[in-house]
Amino acid sequence: MTIPSITAQDILDQAESLRPQLKEGFRDEIVKSLYSEAARISGRAVHQVGNTKWDFDQKIDRLVTSPWTGLPIMLLLLAGVFWVTIVFANIPSQMIATALFWIEDQAANLFTSIGAPWWLTGFIWHGVYRGLAWVIAVMLPPMAIFFPIFTILEDLGYLPRVAFNLDWLFKRAGAHGKQALSMAMGFGCNAAGVISTRVIDSPRERLIAILTNNFVPCNGRFPTLIMLATVFVAASFSPTVSSFIAAGAVLAVVLIGVFFTLLMSWILSRTVLKGEASAFTLELPPYRKPNFSRILYTSLIDRTIFVLWRAIKTAAPAGALIWILANININGVSLAREIANFLNPFGLLLGLDGVIMLAYIIAIPANEIVVPTMMMVYSGVGMMTEITGFGEIRALLIDGNGWTMLTAINLMLFSLLHNPCGTTIWTIYKETKSTKWTVLSVVITLGTAFLVTFITASIARLLGWV
Amino acid sequence: MDHLFPIIFWSSAVLLLLLLIFFPRRGMLARFKEYRQARQREQLEDTLKYLFGGQQSGHTLSAAELAASLQQPVARTVDLLKRMETQQLIENQEGNYRLTHSGEKSALHVVRAHRLWERYLADEALMPLENVHSMAHRREHGMTVAQVNALDAALGHPLQDPHGDPIPNASGNFRPHDQGSPLPQWQEGKIVKIVHLEDEPPLAFAQILAAGLQVGQVMRVMESNATRLVLTDGQDEFTLAPQVAANVFVSERSETAIVDEDVIPLGELADNQKAEIVRLDDQCMGFTRRRFLDLGFTPGTEIFPELQNSFGDPRAYRLRGTLIALRKEQAAQILVRPQLYQ
Repeated sequence: MTIPSITAQDILDQAESLRPQLKEGFRDEIVKSLYSEAARISGRAVHQVGNTKWDFDQKIDRLVTSPWTGLPIMLLLLAGVFWVTIVFANIPSQMIATALFWIEDQAANLFTSIGAPWWLTGFIWHGVYRGLAWVIAVMLPPMAIFFPIFTILEDLGYLPRVAFNLDWLFKRAGAHGKQALSMAMGFGCNAAGVISTRVIDSPRERLIAILTNNFVPCNGRFPTLIMLATVFVAASFSPTVSSFIAAGAVLAVVLIGVFFTLLMSWILSRTVLKGEASAFTLELPPYRKPNFSRILYTSLIDRTIFVLWRAIKTAAPAGALIWILANININGVSLAREIANFLNPFGLLLGLDGVIMLAYIIAIPANEIVVPTMMMVYSGVGMMTEITGFGEIRALLIDGNGWTMLTAINLMLFSLLHNPCGTTIWTIYKETKSTKWTVLSVVITLGTAFLVTFITASIARLLGWV
Repeated sequence: MDHLFPIIFWSSAVLLLLLLIFFPRRGMLARFKEYRQARQREQLEDTLKYLFGGQQSGHTLSAAELAASLQQPVARTVDLLKRMETQQLIENQEGNYRLTHSGEKSALHVVRAHRLWERYLADEALMPLENVHSMAHRREHGMTVAQVNALDAALGHPLQDPHGDPIPNASGNFRPHDQGSPLPQWQEGKIVKIVHLEDEPPLAFAQILAAGLQVGQVMRVMESNATRLVLTDGQDEFTLAPQVAANVFVSERSETAIVDEDVIPLGELADNQKAEIVRLDDQCMGFTRRRFLDLGFTPGTEIFPELQNSFGDPRAYRLRGTLIALRKEQAAQILVRPQLYQ
């Protein structure tokens, strides 16, 4: 007896001959039967008693998405998060700074007393260590407060409602409502924000979200904004309201960022990324009670420590570099000053100065170290200045280095709009697999930053405000 | 020692330059060769496609006509055609060219790649329909049979490209399909289904798309004369110039095929009005259709609009216990039957 042998080709031929007999909607039928089978199983296994939870969800949904209350609630929540961060980060920041700089003093004295050469003491304690101390003091408290609060909002299921509320804006800009989710992620870290654009279905709108994510200030830039808002904008108000003014100023900066995100999305979707908005589905999950212990763990360990560690890794070499630049003297002028002076005309054109430009160049790997770098260049030459409070920062910047309100405002704008940090640029490259889009992401942000600060500086000077 | 330095410098500079030009695979010369080969292959494949297209409509092409299609001088086109003759892809018949059997096979391969790419770009990459043709034209070249088969399988063996042209299967056969005839040939009052939209010339195609016509729509011819053509789908009216309408191919449908009176797009459902999903629009294919089905938008499911956005769009719908927001454009692709009593 012979068994007819069947080759793989026979089967493929058979499939090919049967294929025309399939009805057009057979895929729909398959999914339909899967769903009815799933419904049958769940109907047998799950018993629902009443639906009080559902009614409650509906009430909240009506509140947070209604025309009158939706947007105000969103803005209030955002302002609230900033206010809590500013108020509660202030004191721990000063305490950490005092403690860490006290250690610097003691250690430097110890080194001097045992006869270590001045350059060794300077390099290790006034360079590497001071860079680290600055980053920890400036970044740790705001992060440790901001991340958990934000994770709670995330866990509650509130963020998709924000996307739902704002979609009409994004639609007009030719973008996707879920861009609001990747922007929210960008508050934590722009690299994470870029990765989170994967939730956007259509490639065109995803690319828009990637290219504009940097207009959301990340946690590395928040301390800069908070410091400037506190030291400059809020300082002239009475202490009782100053924290609200500072939070309002940070919120204003964030809203300017949102404005530029939408503007750039609009420009992109009408030029290089032409096309109609396509494919939009957004799931609004039921509200869930946040798991607080897990939130504390993930936001403190996964996020805060992770981001801080990244900042420390770049802060130590940056501190060393600055110390070297500040202590190599050519004709009695330090190299750092030399470079800053060289960059100064360009900086002044943008309403900033050479030191700020230098700080931004050194801070390309990680934006967290902008303020520390600036402070170290301003104070690093000669005898060190001990800076523990916002009052001293104000004195150093205004009296010592000629800062004005314009410098502060333009620095906030520049910090908001300038190019993504090294990690984010690398992430954009990995996500788009394209040098073209990576370069464009830097060009459009840096271009916007230069243009906007140049315009505000010119207007302020023309009107004689500075 | 001093006189040695220029010698070392210049010899190493020359060596570097030579490496830059002649380095295998990465040198400029190799890159240029690669580019030229790819370019030649592209033109050969395009020639096959044009000849195939001509033969489908029943005529052969001359060297001059092909040169015009390829946008290159006649002399170079003749060179190309001679090469193709020696490869036995085409044969010369009194100055006009036609495909040989093996030429036809290669042409079908290119046509298949082109139409599959169009399907992919329209359904999966969600590219606007008017850009699909030119992008597919760039992507279709240099693909192996195995690659085209893989693309076919990944797309679920589609039968037609987004313009309604049939896609040949792996053995080079077209599956039976309805070719239809140009719209101006149909009388007023006929019920027709759009089976094919001609994508050349692009200007006419853009006008068809701008008018809102899609393959698969069922329409009634309301008015057909020398100045204009008016169609209706029962809700909206579509007006076309006769020259443009000649690029729309339709076939007859019986009266009953036109959309049921009580079926409306989900987007037009009143707030909190319960409805049952009847079907997804035929034109909603590929990624978008899969996503809808994955989310549970299957025929027979109960659905109702639960949350309205402050600005009317998007709207969130409750189905299978979950809440899903859709924009107007997406909601228009889901057809529902409102339930009269709740």
